[in-house]
Amino acid sequence: MPVNIIVCIKQIIDPEIPASQFKIDPGTKRQVQGSHSLVISAYDQNAIEVAVQLKEKHGGKVTAVSVGGASAATALKSALSMGADEAILVDDPAIVASDQQGIAHVLATATQKVGVFDLILTGCVSGDWGDRAVPAFMAEELGIGCVGFVSRIEAKDGQVVLRRVVEDGYELIEAKTPVLVSIISDETNTPRYPKLKDIMAAGKKTIPVWKAADLGVDSERIGAAAARALITDVYLPVKESKCEMIEGDTPQEQAVKLAARLRELKLI
Amino acid sequence: MDFELSEEQKAIQTMVREFAEREIAPVAQELDEREEFPADIVRKLADLGLMGILFPKEYGGAAMDYISYALILEELGRYDASVALTVESHNSLCSNHIYLAGTEAQRRKYLPQLASGKVLGAWGLTEPASGSDAAGMQTTATLDGVHWVLNGTKNFITQGSVAGIYVIMAITDRSKREKGISAFILEKGTPGFRAGRKEHKMGFRASDTAQLIFEGARIPKENLLGELNHGFIDTLMILDAGRIGMAALSIGIARGALEESLKYAKERQAFGQPIANYQAIQWKLADMATEIDAARLLALQAADLRDRGQPFTKEAAYGKLFASEIAMKAASEAVQIHGGYGYIKEFPVERYFRDAKFCAIGEGTSEIQRLIIARQLLGRSYI
Ligand SMILES: Cc1cc2nc3c(=O)[nH]c(=O)nc-3n(C[C@H](O)[C@H](O)[C@H](O)COP(=O)(O)OP(=O)(O)OC[C@H]3O[C@@H](n4cnc5c(N)ncnc54)[C@H](O)[C@@H]3O)c2cc1C
Repeated sequence: MPVNIIVCIKQIIDPEIPASQFKIDPGTKRQVQGSHSLVISAYDQNAIEVAVQLKEKHGGKVTAVSVGGASAATALKSALSMGADEAILVDDPAIVASDQQGIAHVLATATQKVGVFDLILTGCVSGDWGDRAVPAFMAEELGIGCVGFVSRIEAKDGQVVLRRVVEDGYELIEAKTPVLVSIISDETNTPRYPKLKDIMAAGKKTIPVWKAADLGVDSERIGAAAARALITDVYLPVKESKCEMIEGDTPQEQAVKLAARLRELKLI
Repeated sequence: MDFELSEEQKAIQTMVREFAEREIAPVAQELDEREEFPADIVRKLADLGLMGILFPKEYGGAAMDYISYALILEELGRYDASVALTVESHNSLCSNHIYLAGTEAQRRKYLPQLASGKVLGAWGLTEPASGSDAAGMQTTATLDGVHWVLNGTKNFITQGSVAGIYVIMAITDRSKREKGISAFILEKGTPGFRAGRKEHKMGFRASDTAQLIFEGARIPKENLLGELNHGFIDTLMILDAGRIGMAALSIGIARGALEESLKYAKERQAFGQPIANYQAIQWKLADMATEIDAARLLALQAADLRDRGQPFTKEAAYGKLFASEIAMKAASEAVQIHGGYGYIKEFPVERYFRDAKFCAIGEGTSEIQRLIIARQLLGRSYI
């Protein structure tokens, strides 16, 4: 049975940069890009990998969708080179500064415009804000189920078996499609390196750009004015380091005291 | 003039960079120490299309331009020059010779195998008694019925002991010197042919270098590659394009030397402050960065001319000459910046230093590059 999948991906500033180079614009309260490169948020890449593997096994179609500026087309090309069949960019100044509910609304309308789908995949948490809210809001809006932190998906007989990662193990969840699943990394979904020929083929594909108006987005629910969550402050944590010497007559005694102190500090 | 890479070129660069960082960098030092050929890495590279970079899709290739090719080799050379040389010689020399000079039947027979990476390519020009003076070779090929019979020895051949397909230059008419040399395709397992001694080297230790011995090796008549007695002229054309690759590989080594030095200079304290605070160190870093950029511009200029079908012999020689010499300089400065730690194997700059030396020797020494450039400037009557 072919599986049609929509993967929602977000382009973010490379989170691997050293903390010393992290700058915040005090006005917008957002990170300044500077000369840092833009990448696909890490778990979103795992989501693409899961989608492409499912397609390779069962057939179907993978569509990547991103809400972002013109630069996000690069992220979508990257998804295409990894094996997505189509990619759509939702780029509209009206969407800028939407909160999580606003973005979820835009994505939900975009997935409806894409049409038939069995699965919507997202990363389990974005590599920039990390607030994990969009997948659940989106599922709510679409009126479909939502399972978070899934590392593997098996499709059979019109339903999917989801391996959801929990502390100390995993749960297997059977879900009816369509369902929205947020993906966490494991060794089976390491994003593939795109092949040269797939990079070239992706280069030739056009990425349609959809505007809010194309999607029937409720303009009351997007943009800064509609935001229900307000960021009041963003700052870099001040790191302090201090040195504490553990005394003791013998190495054994020092070790015992060290362990006790670490436990006291709740470090072990 | 446009210095901007295309979106696809950037994507290729990113892909190879990530691959090199994650899959090659962690094992490079060990492969070097054990003189181990990176067979696993080559298999993965083949899957990505990197063992058939330059020739068209109908032969299983990726049909890339030379700019992309240079970007790929720089990224590979950044972490492991041996892997880069494997890819370079397989693509620039063996595969490209078959693609550019081969008959349709030869292309169809050999190129898909080479692109798959299941079979590696080697290219044999140098001999024990002839290197720069390649036309002074001794290996002969004589026609005997429906076979060519090869006799002689080739020296220092990259992939010599691990290849499956060899392009070999041999004398077919001794009276005509360079106009009496032809190229042949030879397969592993041909009776009368064997790989001899594997060389132990100062650098590029994970790259396979071996002698090839031909003792009445019989190959089918149709394995003549290119026209009879045209092998040397084809060889010069192959080496011209190969220089773009060698330049890019050298730039990769130089960039590694710079990146490691930047990191170390910020970490290492001397006299109560990071050594990066000292101008003596800063000037080294500034020179390295400037020279790397200049070398890259030269290499990409040659690649761009090649892509546009313009003459590029002189520019490719500029790139190879300059990039290989600044690679040695950058590697030497990197060891200096690392002090004693630069001289021991825990830090990769020790390897970069050993690897860089070869760049000004292989595929035409620096002296030969200057000769090529001077000939282009002065004309052939001043040889
Ligand atoms: C690791 C490694 C891999 C190699 N891989 C291959 C391969 O895959 N295939 C292949 O065919 N070969 C290969 N070679 C051979 C390489 O191309 C030659 O070593 C190189 O071209 C130099 O030739 P040579 O060693 O005979 O030196 P020589 O030609 O003997 O040169 C000795 C010195 O004399 C100088 N010299 C020579 N002629 C002149 C001149 N006219 N004017 C001024 N100076 C001159 C040279 O620049 C050099 O400094 C490889 C070598 C090594 C070390």
